[in-house]
Amino acid sequence: MTAPPPPGSTAPLACATHQLSVAYRETPVLRAVDLRVPAGVVMGVVGPNGAGKSTLIKAMLGLVPPLTGRTEFFGGPLSRARQRVGYMPQSASVDWDFPTTVLDVVTMGTYGSLGWLKRPGKAQRDAAVDALRTTGMADLAHRQIGELSGGQRQRVFLARTLVQAPDLYFMDEPFQGVDAKSQRAIVTVLHALRAQGTTVVMVHHDLATVTDYCDHVTLLNQCIVASGPTVEVFTKENIRTTYDVTTGDDTFLDLIA
Amino acid sequence: MSFVVGTALLAVVTALACALPGTFIVLRRSSMLVDAISHAVLPGIVLGYVVTRDLDSPLLIVGAALAGLLVVLGSEWLTRTGLIAGDAPQGLIFPALFSVGVILVSASFANVHLDTHAVLVGDLNLAAWDQLTVGTVSIGPTYLYVMLGMLALNVGVIAVLYSRLKATTFDPQFAASQGIRTGLVNTAFMFLVSLTVTAAFNAAGAILVLALVTVPPATAYLVSRTLPAMLVLTVTIAAVGALAGFWLAYVLDAATSAGMAVLFGVLFCVVLGATRLTQRRRVRAGATAPARQAAPLR
Repeated sequence: MTAPPPPGSTAPLACATHQLSVAYRETPVLRAVDLRVPAGVVMGVVGPNGAGKSTLIKAMLGLVPPLTGRTEFFGGPLSRARQRVGYMPQSASVDWDFPTTVLDVVTMGTYGSLGWLKRPGKAQRDAAVDALRTTGMADLAHRQIGELSGGQRQRVFLARTLVQAPDLYFMDEPFQGVDAKSQRAIVTVLHALRAQGTTVVMVHHDLATVTDYCDHVTLLNQCIVASGPTVEVFTKENIRTTYDVTTGDDTFLDLIA
Repeated sequence: MSFVVGTALLAVVTALACALPGTFIVLRRSSMLVDAISHAVLPGIVLGYVVTRDLDSPLLIVGAALAGLLVVLGSEWLTRTGLIAGDAPQGLIFPALFSVGVILVSASFANVHLDTHAVLVGDLNLAAWDQLTVGTVSIGPTYLYVMLGMLALNVGVIAVLYSRLKATTFDPQFAASQGIRTGLVNTAFMFLVSLTVTAAFNAAGAILVLALVTVPPATAYLVSRTLPAMLVLTVTIAAVGALAGFWLAYVLDAATSAGMAVLFGVLFCVVLGATRLTQRRRVRAGATAPARQAAPLR
């Protein structure tokens, strides 16, 4: 399982986990996950609730301590690739009554590149305005964040990650609770990132859109059921295994795969 | 400086020194951690008093603040073990430390003015008793200069750490993903809070210091749209409330810290009532999205 990639056969990897296992107290959430994300793909991570999708991302980024295993980014440890890796958490994870504005939240995306004492200046704010323009939120830059809709919140979080200009994105359910307009705006950004050759790892809930958005897909249910190019691994058989769907539900599976 | 003016100044400076870090405490939703700290510093204060024989000694304040930090780090560690949930770890650690302090006070210091009553609510007038003189002119209570130093330290540290504090308060996980040392920022900040609570102990005691730390920022939180606005409003409320509370206690001949805490509570209720009224009026007027003026950015 931990064997190195066969020589000369693979594209360079954006990131890879080796035997990554995570447990919350006595409950195992991830078991020996070996995930390989080739550079330049949009990879969807799908699986049922409690499959460990968010935990996988958090463990890779060191936000949740892994029980065993390690993760490499661009062939090295995370500490050497911090500025090349961007994280977009679920928007429900913060207090939206926090007294701050949209522009200020997006500017916080630049803090990682500033030192301990340096304050964000004009360059950082300009970058934030650009990121807001990309996500179609420039008009709302001076809104208080509590006045935003669910979709607008997601777009603010996306802009906050965009402003870092990372080479590798981790997005935790970017389409959670968004309206059609925000969905379009996020998809546009996603397609633009893909066109630039940026790598995206995205936890995704909507199986019906997996083939539209993702070049690669990882089916996860505590361990990896299948991972690879969407056309190859997003099969009825694999989805059935991942979601424990009985054979009688084939109409549901026909709809999505 | 007359005794009344000196004591009133002491009240204002103490309120400011407490309310400033309180802004981040309220936003981090760890108000009750301040209560835990303010109780846990007691054994540190008593032991420090044994060594220094001076309640205003900086050595005593730092030593006692370390005892306060013990609650913060200890309860964080207990939470991380996953064996005890919620805020129970705080509940486990601070009563034990506080009790050690109470036993020490009643066993060894029955004859000094470190009695259990002053420990709970403090005594601003007693704290202001010791006057600093230059030549023959009094320049105010010695303790006033201790709290001024504390206020200056709080202003300095918060100014330097402002960006990091804001980022780790708003979204600690995102901040950590950017490589910001969230644990270090948190520990440094909680040590500052612990120092502040210890320094304010003489004036406000173990219980009322919580009001000085959390009520002005909680009031400002109700109406603030940006963090700089919230800081300015917090400082204003703390100063006004402290002065008015001091005056109230002076007129009624009551405990000063209690007067300040009551005034802060009244201010909070007034602001809460006013915001609810305007909200209701807005709903009645049928305004769906309030067209508010864009706030200046920093």
